[in-house]
Amino acid sequence: MIFRTAGQYKTSYEADQALFPVKQDFYLVLGILLLGYVVFPLTASEFTFKALLVPVLIYALAALGLNILTGYCGQLSLGTGAFMGVGAYATYKLMTIVPEMNIFAAIFLSGFFSAAVGVAFGLPSLRIKGFYLAIATLAAQFFLVWLFEKWAWLYNYNASGAIEVATSSVFGITVTGPTALPIVQYYCVLIVVTLVTWVAINLTRGRYGRMWKATRDMDIAAELVGIKLMTAKLTAFAVSSYIVGVAGGLLVFFWKGAAEPNLFDIPLSFQILFIAIIGGLGSILGNFLGAILIVALPVILNLIPSTLGIPVDSATLEHLNVMIVGALIIAFLILEPHGLARFYAIIREKFILWPFPY
Amino acid sequence: MGFNWKSAGCAGIVSLSVAFGATVASAAEIYVPNLSYRTGPFAATGIPLMNGQRDYVAMLNARDGGVGGAKLVFDECETGYNTNKGVECYEKTKSKAVVTQPWSTGITLQVLPRTNVDKIPILAPGYGFSPMSDGEVFAWAFNPPSSYWDGASMILNYISDGDLANLKGKKVALLHLDHPYGKEPIPLIEKLAEENGFEFLPIPVGLKEMQNQSAQWLQIRRERPDYVVMWGWGAMNAGAITEAVKTRYPMDQFVGIWWSGYDGDLKLVGEKGKGYKTISWNVPGSYPVLDEIKQHVVDPGDSLIENPEDMDSIFYQRGVVISMILVEGIKAAQKHFGTAEIDAAQLRWGLENLNITDEVLAELGMAGMTVPFATSCDNHTGHGGGWMLEWDGAAFVPVSEKLSPDRAAIEPLEAAKAAEYAESNAPWPGRSEVPCE
Amino acid sequence: MLYDVLIDPFVQMVAVPDFFLQVIWEGFVSGVLYALIALGFVLIYKSSRIFNFAQGIMVVFSALTLVGLHSMGIPAIAAVPLTLLVMYLLAMSVERVVLRPLVNQPDIILFMATIGITLFLIGFGELVFGGENKVMITEQLGIPTGAFELEPFGGFVLIEQKDVTAVTMAILLVVGLLLFLDRTKMGRAIRALGDDHQAALSVGISLSTIWVLVWFIAGVIALVTGIVWGARAGVSFALEVIAYKALPVLMLGGLESVSGAIVGGIAIGILEKIFEIYWGQPFLGGNTETWFPFIFALLVLLFRPQGLFGERIIERI
Repeated sequence: MIFRTAGQYKTSYEADQALFPVKQDFYLVLGILLLGYVVFPLTASEFTFKALLVPVLIYALAALGLNILTGYCGQLSLGTGAFMGVGAYATYKLMTIVPEMNIFAAIFLSGFFSAAVGVAFGLPSLRIKGFYLAIATLAAQFFLVWLFEKWAWLYNYNASGAIEVATSSVFGITVTGPTALPIVQYYCVLIVVTLVTWVAINLTRGRYGRMWKATRDMDIAAELVGIKLMTAKLTAFAVSSYIVGVAGGLLVFFWKGAAEPNLFDIPLSFQILFIAIIGGLGSILGNFLGAILIVALPVILNLIPSTLGIPVDSATLEHLNVMIVGALIIAFLILEPHGLARFYAIIREKFILWPFPY
Repeated sequence: MGFNWKSAGCAGIVSLSVAFGATVASAAEIYVPNLSYRTGPFAATGIPLMNGQRDYVAMLNARDGGVGGAKLVFDECETGYNTNKGVECYEKTKSKAVVTQPWSTGITLQVLPRTNVDKIPILAPGYGFSPMSDGEVFAWAFNPPSSYWDGASMILNYISDGDLANLKGKKVALLHLDHPYGKEPIPLIEKLAEENGFEFLPIPVGLKEMQNQSAQWLQIRRERPDYVVMWGWGAMNAGAITEAVKTRYPMDQFVGIWWSGYDGDLKLVGEKGKGYKTISWNVPGSYPVLDEIKQHVVDPGDSLIENPEDMDSIFYQRGVVISMILVEGIKAAQKHFGTAEIDAAQLRWGLENLNITDEVLAELGMAGMTVPFATSCDNHTGHGGGWMLEWDGAAFVPVSEKLSPDRAAIEPLEAAKAAEYAESNAPWPGRSEVPCE
Repeated sequence: MLYDVLIDPFVQMVAVPDFFLQVIWEGFVSGVLYALIALGFVLIYKSSRIFNFAQGIMVVFSALTLVGLHSMGIPAIAAVPLTLLVMYLLAMSVERVVLRPLVNQPDIILFMATIGITLFLIGFGELVFGGENKVMITEQLGIPTGAFELEPFGGFVLIEQKDVTAVTMAILLVVGLLLFLDRTKMGRAIRALGDDHQAALSVGISLSTIWVLVWFIAGVIALVTGIVWGARAGVSFALEVIAYKALPVLMLGGLESVSGAIVGGIAIGILEKIFEIYWGQPFLGGNTETWFPFIFALLVLLFRPQGLFGERIIERI
């Protein structure tokens, strides 16, 4: 009843192809934005910002980047963590070379560096496919992390080998560094994520999006109908790495505050891949749903024993956590291999018909 | 594979259990979290230390009902020696904590700037960033009784028979973990090598190669260094010692920092490891304090150790010493401020005014167990020195008098690096908010 | 500079031949171990098109079970069959709980599921056996621990007896496996399933029996790998990272080829060691072994997209 589409007539192609062909979808998104921009900041505590809201947004953005490559263009990548690293190190170097630069400019510029690296490591995709390509992206993963470790110029010859975020401000408000308020950092991340998501949605609906999908569904057929595979695959690598790089910059500058090379190691890549797959490949919304699940799950799991008053020591808890997360991943894959986004789609379809199924 | 989501929750339980504890007991309490690691590739060396720390505090709670009338709430947050998770643990514990014990040089470096803002002292005994010794710059950080640079200096002094000039023309290799911890001594050894004309060769061991160091030891075989100094941790120690035995590297030219001298690692090679040395600021043995712990904690079954013999381990006893340093800081603060339930800022004062003499140690039942030292405003380490221990095939035994670092050689570098740190982290508050009393 | 990079390393190899031989031997031994892990991957991929990421943790898990059972007072002779039983139960539960409900799902979903298994086994293993390092029960299993010392070219080459044992065990395992795949009914069924699922099903080959069998064989391979690698370096969860080393081996050798896994493994083992010693350490700051195999395999793949021994990829619309 809520989702009744009766009465919403499309009289032109434009109306049918609009971002929100159904009015209710538009209201829903408006509601979510309202929640993100107004309700959460008013109610959330510092812990909620740092442990839930900001990580969800950043991981969702990284998963969105990966999803463009894997979900839309069909190229499995296991190197996401390293590309996030490229974005983070590029932002760091830009900020040290030009300290007065606006942090947002630095983050958006750093995306170009990760895009370039992404294209370089994407070149083999023209020759190799499937799991062979996935292992090939691991080459990027291991090589780049090694480079972050060994190339001292990248971390300004810091004794610890870590990059540390200096204090910087925009319009007189401190946005990065130890003194920045969590709520300010949350808003910064939220604005960037909203912007990139909006661009990504339109990109995937446009010419390039359709090219990618054709390549994903069957690349030889796509080539026969005149799609240049090189352009399709390399643009997917570029756009994907750009978004992932931006997410990496946000991760270090607005959340962690400092980073060692092994932060960008393979567990991060897998974590992002989980979010993309559990959320749903080939869906923008899925990334956010997946991120919410993956970030919130351990927090909730940790709360259970203490709320029930069962004493569990920290190490056992950790082991149980890993076990449960592993088991839940398998369970989710069995229940709905197409991800949470598919769940949402089913519910939405139901609502459109409800309560009068034809 | 350390997935990050494991960590996100670990603090959740901490904060909850704190809240819970606080409502039940209205008596004075001091919350002392520990960013421990009982999981992951470093668990082998982490577990005995964490047990020692935990048991000393448990003993005080059981025997004296806490410290100065305040019960100590000792709480572990699991980091797996992962910097990322460690920082999350710090964030989760900081609201109640009077101290942060980061337990990894990587975590120490990352929480260092935040502790200035959050006003929580870092206690990093025998680890962390060596220039933290400069209390004028690092008002909130403490690394007693000896810093890594002290350790490096003592090792070099020992192998050169007290005069670094004897090393001229020789080659010293540093086999180190490729992690902030392992890189820590490099600037000092580089400087000393240049000044004294010996060759310095750092050999990094990646986190993924700790257990398979054949490439590193092939390099040692090719380069034939006169001495190998080891900055290893966790699974790396055992790996290096077995490879050294295999390559037939002479054990008496192989010296480790205090974290590379774990008897559990050496037991794997037994007799073949004879002659391996390690610098240490605690000597394993039987001390009255251990009997107290046995009586009040281990025998009632409140300890996490598996059998009472684990108490003989050098790392277990070091854990006890570390908790002792923290508790002495609490005592000093309680006495000075006249309150049982001290806060983080008061503990900072306490740690800055530690005076652990031989008499104090004897009183605690720890005479000869660790080095005496005293901290002050500009000296946050105490530079107590240490002993050289040698593996005799079954246990570590001291083979030297108490050694002292060559402070004259270290101090200029410490000052320079501290200033550099403050500059690159500007605006760095330094002591501006906590003037020296 | 060019001389240093292009010529000098080769001069060194010839100038100090005993050291060079030692480098090759060390590389060969680790190569054999990479090959063993890769073999586990290949078997499972061949019969079910599943890229089994959990092979690495299966190595750790089997070794931990063996050591754990022995520390409970069970003699080594009995602990080995008991560990095999545990691996069989594991294979059965994987098939029943994970694989069966996921039949016919896209490759990537199955791949993710194996990562889920990995996580589960890490948590379960640490919970049951604890996270600390353990010593492999080398002597109790009758593996010799001494070393042969050869003295060619006036230098010395040290060959540990347990490494020789490792290589021998690996060779026996591979020969046994090849015979099994080639000569027995079950083995032929596995290969038939690899060639064409539906055709195999239609001639009466049971999918679930074969899957359990294949996962069990992968478990046996994991146990052998765990024993020999554990004897070298101790048993702990840090071992799990060696699983990554098997991936470039798979790229190089081809995902379906048993002989590819062997040749690829040994080639990667030797080449990464030589590169690390003669180029990595002098010019690049060391630790190149983490990425060199990947980049090397990638370069080879650019010329042969199906790997050295993989089946030719024929694409149809």
